[in-house]
Amino acid sequence: MENKIKKILVANRGVPAVRIMHTCRDLKISTVAIYSTPDRLSHHVMVADKGVHIGEAPPIESYLNKEKIIDTALKEKADAIHPGWGFLAENAEFAQMVKDAGLIWIGPEPAVIRSMGDKIEAKKIAIRANVPTIPGISDVKDVKQIKEWMKNEQVTYPIMIKASAGGGGKGMVKVEKDSELAGALEQARSEARKAFDDDKLLAEKYIERGRHIEVQIVADMHGNVYHLCERECTLQRRNQKIIEEAPSPSLNDNLRNEICFTAVRLMREIGYTTAGTVEFIFDSETQKFYFLEVNTRLQVEHGVTELITGLDIVELMIDVARGKKFCFKQADVHPNRWALEVRINAEDPKTFAPSFGTITRLQIPQGPGVRIAQGVYEGADIPPYYDSLFMLLLTAGRNRDSAIRAMDRTLSRNLRIEGIKTITPLLLAIIRHKAFQAGNFSTKFIENHMDELISMFRVKDAQDEALKIAEYVAKISALGPQEWM
Amino acid sequence: MKKFEKKMFRPGMKPAEIVNKLRNLDGVAITCTGMRDAGQSDYKNRHRIYDLKLLAPYYEEMNLFSSECHGGARWHVGVMNRKEDPFEEIEILRERMPSVMLQTLIRETNLFGYRPYPKNVIEYVVQRVDIDVWRCFSFLNDVRNMRAVAEVVMKRGRLFQPAISFTQSDWTTNEYYLSVVKDIVDLCAGTDEIVLCIKDMAGVGSPERISSLVDAIKQKYPDLVIQYHRHATDGLAMPALLAAAKAGAKVLDAEEDSLTRFYGQAPILALQAYLEESGINVLLDREMAEKAVQKVREWIGHYEWAESPFKGFDHTVTSHRMPGGAFPSSFEQAEKGGFLHLMPAILKVMSLYNKIVKYFDVTPGSQITWVTCSGIVNKYAKEKGEAGVQHVIDLLTKLVEEKNQNFKAMSEEEQAELLKLFATAPGDFKNLLLGGYGRLPMGWPDEWVYRSAFGEEWKEKLKERKEVSPLEQLKDDNLDQIRNDLADAIGRKPTEEEFILYLMHPKDALGIIEFREQYGDTPLVLPTNVWREGLKNPGDKVEFILWGQPYCIELVSIGSEHEGIIHVVMKVNNKTRVYTVETPRAKKVEIRMAKGPEEIGAPINGNLWRIGNPDRGAIKVGDVVHKGEEIANLEAMKMENAILAPFDGVVKEIAVKLNDSVQEGQLLFVLEKK
Repeated sequence: MENKIKKILVANRGVPAVRIMHTCRDLKISTVAIYSTPDRLSHHVMVADKGVHIGEAPPIESYLNKEKIIDTALKEKADAIHPGWGFLAENAEFAQMVKDAGLIWIGPEPAVIRSMGDKIEAKKIAIRANVPTIPGISDVKDVKQIKEWMKNEQVTYPIMIKASAGGGGKGMVKVEKDSELAGALEQARSEARKAFDDDKLLAEKYIERGRHIEVQIVADMHGNVYHLCERECTLQRRNQKIIEEAPSPSLNDNLRNEICFTAVRLMREIGYTTAGTVEFIFDSETQKFYFLEVNTRLQVEHGVTELITGLDIVELMIDVARGKKFCFKQADVHPNRWALEVRINAEDPKTFAPSFGTITRLQIPQGPGVRIAQGVYEGADIPPYYDSLFMLLLTAGRNRDSAIRAMDRTLSRNLRIEGIKTITPLLLAIIRHKAFQAGNFSTKFIENHMDELISMFRVKDAQDEALKIAEYVAKISALGPQEWM
Repeated sequence: MKKFEKKMFRPGMKPAEIVNKLRNLDGVAITCTGMRDAGQSDYKNRHRIYDLKLLAPYYEEMNLFSSECHGGARWHVGVMNRKEDPFEEIEILRERMPSVMLQTLIRETNLFGYRPYPKNVIEYVVQRVDIDVWRCFSFLNDVRNMRAVAEVVMKRGRLFQPAISFTQSDWTTNEYYLSVVKDIVDLCAGTDEIVLCIKDMAGVGSPERISSLVDAIKQKYPDLVIQYHRHATDGLAMPALLAAAKAGAKVLDAEEDSLTRFYGQAPILALQAYLEESGINVLLDREMAEKAVQKVREWIGHYEWAESPFKGFDHTVTSHRMPGGAFPSSFEQAEKGGFLHLMPAILKVMSLYNKIVKYFDVTPGSQITWVTCSGIVNKYAKEKGEAGVQHVIDLLTKLVEEKNQNFKAMSEEEQAELLKLFATAPGDFKNLLLGGYGRLPMGWPDEWVYRSAFGEEWKEKLKERKEVSPLEQLKDDNLDQIRNDLADAIGRKPTEEEFILYLMHPKDALGIIEFREQYGDTPLVLPTNVWREGLKNPGDKVEFILWGQPYCIELVSIGSEHEGIIHVVMKVNNKTRVYTVETPRAKKVEIRMAKGPEEIGAPINGNLWRIGNPDRGAIKVGDVVHKGEEIANLEAMKMENAILAPFDGVVKEIAVKLNDSVQEGQLLFVLEKK
């Protein structure tokens, strides 16, 4: 029997909300957007069929306000809730509440979210399924416990303290020496509480120069668990991915098969359904990969997989939620492109200091092989309360070089974002860097090459220069000849 | 008309070759001052390269000796007012007139600035400016001061043009000038690689006087090539130029007829006709020169506002000697300062002053004279009115003319008054008296001048007086340190050109760097009317090309002022944009920024969600904090940023409130070190 889904409440904002609504539109499913007070005129509200005010600016009062979101879904007669990514996407309690309210949860079973969301539990399952893992310690309470573990298992710095419920770089703190330990622990705990409403922590050995590779899995409720190939997400800053691609330039076909089917094995073991990702850290020197975590949600970078496979992952999630059986088999998945994604964050490209404010001008260059996922429109505000990601640029081509070329064109020609700072100059510098083009980089690439990357920033842009002239004309037209003349 | 070789003088020619060509030239060549001194003398140096560059294609074909387009006060006014970088100007002109020698005017130790620089600064700067002809002068005719510039220019293979500062006075005899020329010839190892300039910057040389001077120099140094630079102030430029040419001068300075007003150089077309009628050939392509003259008319109307409020020739310049370049700016200052009516008195005092302290009225001497004399007159006017002004003129006239500068011959009362005359004179005047600029041409002034300037300290000061050139007095500047200072001030590595601007004019260099960072190439692309006035009426537009692409800015509307803000709506390449312009009345929301080491600033923009830390709770004024302790936490886009105490200390002030949105660098805490 098929579950009826005619209306979906999207419990998110910005890029993910808009992304999900696009597929809903394709499927003739109507959408309900929720918004916090500062998001009243946001892009996702305008894209939806209806917008409902959910609360004040702090996420805990709005996009993390579980009861209110469910009440709204019921009141608006939505059939299902899609959580997007971030906020409540991996909150098992919320998933359970949704189901208990008689609504369809577009995501994996709450129990699966719970077991995978708890990194300690996830690791245990991985070990059981014979998936290689990194040395670590769970349920970290205090500094002493960490030190003992390090001593017993002969683990040396650096180590990483993470929120058990975490993801997306929030609640993750790298520790280089004893003296930083206490502060790091406190920071991770506080961030974890704020971002995930759960302050459980774990500690792990940090693998230097690792590469971050993940496998996209989709599974229906009829026992079909497929992989949609891997993605490489090695380029990160502050543990947040900023450039992703598919396939990975670091794997050969044997390794690719091995890593993808290891992921399928694990997900089958768990009894996973809908879309999810198994993340690995890959040590390119030893050619070994270790299980990192399972992301029980749609991911930011799912678009590159869609570009190389031609599938719509959001559509597959809705199909699974409806109880449909996949109409394709693993052997039907034939990736035949190379795709690249960059994240346009509202941050200073040199310091990564957040830059919020009004986007006074937004001009996006289209062209062959380009896909844009935006969470804002020209004139919109970027409020200080939420994530700095406001747009994704994706390009695809027949091979890596052509995808990079299309990305270079997109970033360097007539992309105009005024009013806020973005990391665009950094992104352009990275994709123009020889090491990136050769596929030779690690998760440390950005911090190790920061000065060099900054030196590659284009100093001046013709349009910016013309606008400086216009600013002068405006000033003199309003004020007349100046004293200094 | 005689047929000459085309493009006879070109950049890259060896100095000896240039000198030889001039020696053998059957006629005179012309230095066109249209791009520098013409603008300096009659338009306060406001002529923009945007307009001047339009003349370059004609100069390229005019067969000029050189184009004087650089240096003097144009350099500083460019940086300060036109927001043009002198290096950029050279680049623009080189591209448009590659066959024309570019000429500068440089002060021997002050270069393009107003203070004597140490030798290493002079060498550094002269080495890096791409100019073909270096006219260099000393307002004291202290040839020793020219050594550093001469050495670098001659070593670079560029033409050195030492200038003798000329004025008409009882002490500026041929004999005196021959001694200066001797020093120059000695400095430059002969006459084969230099052109000597007679710099008549006030326009005071009568035809007879100039003829006699040129003749005297030619008699003693027959091979020395002489160029005569003359302003038109006294109204006698043309006959004086003819007299100089007849006596043997080979190069004359002139400017476009359409640029001439009263205080610049002679009109070029008229000069050519006048000389040729007298049988002297002139190296000048008449047709091209006429086109240049015509071209000027297209834009000169935009500069009416910059012209001197004092118009007409002024033969009394022969006594007050204010140079052409200083004329309009002095009158402008007088007008702004509300003492324009005192100008005749000031000019009179100047004519008496320059008999007491003898030097040449050209930068920086002319500024010293002007500030000192206008100061004296203003002081008397303020204290005693018109009668007071007349009184000080009478007093000085009596000393200079009646008593022949015999201080002792004045009454006791008059002596006492004179001893107060220079008490409030500017520091530069006092520095001049102490030898800071070099030796005075006729020796140091009388003792009473020192007593007047320095009061009771005069004896000690006199002991400090230096006899050696400032080149020998000044210790080298630490260039690396200065470069670092500049880098600190602008927050990045400066370019070589920016560094040189900063060496010459530190404050104004920072001004132009900031301006250009904010407004880009505005000074280079906007037409002069828009540069000054903006767009006036809805629908008015300005079009330009920037980096190969066309742009159009069209005014849609200018709103009315509201709380110090005016909204201007414009279309930039057809896209509507709203600009918020702050008027001087705009209320400034002051954000205190962290400055000293005891002031703790926000590392990023964000929300200050916690003051203190979870262990100890909130922190209050008076609390003791420890190095490394978290004293606040900033959140931005879900990332937390701990602010740690940089040292052990006591909280003196908390400058923000909990949950304030703070800017990067904004002051959060003041801590007192323990």
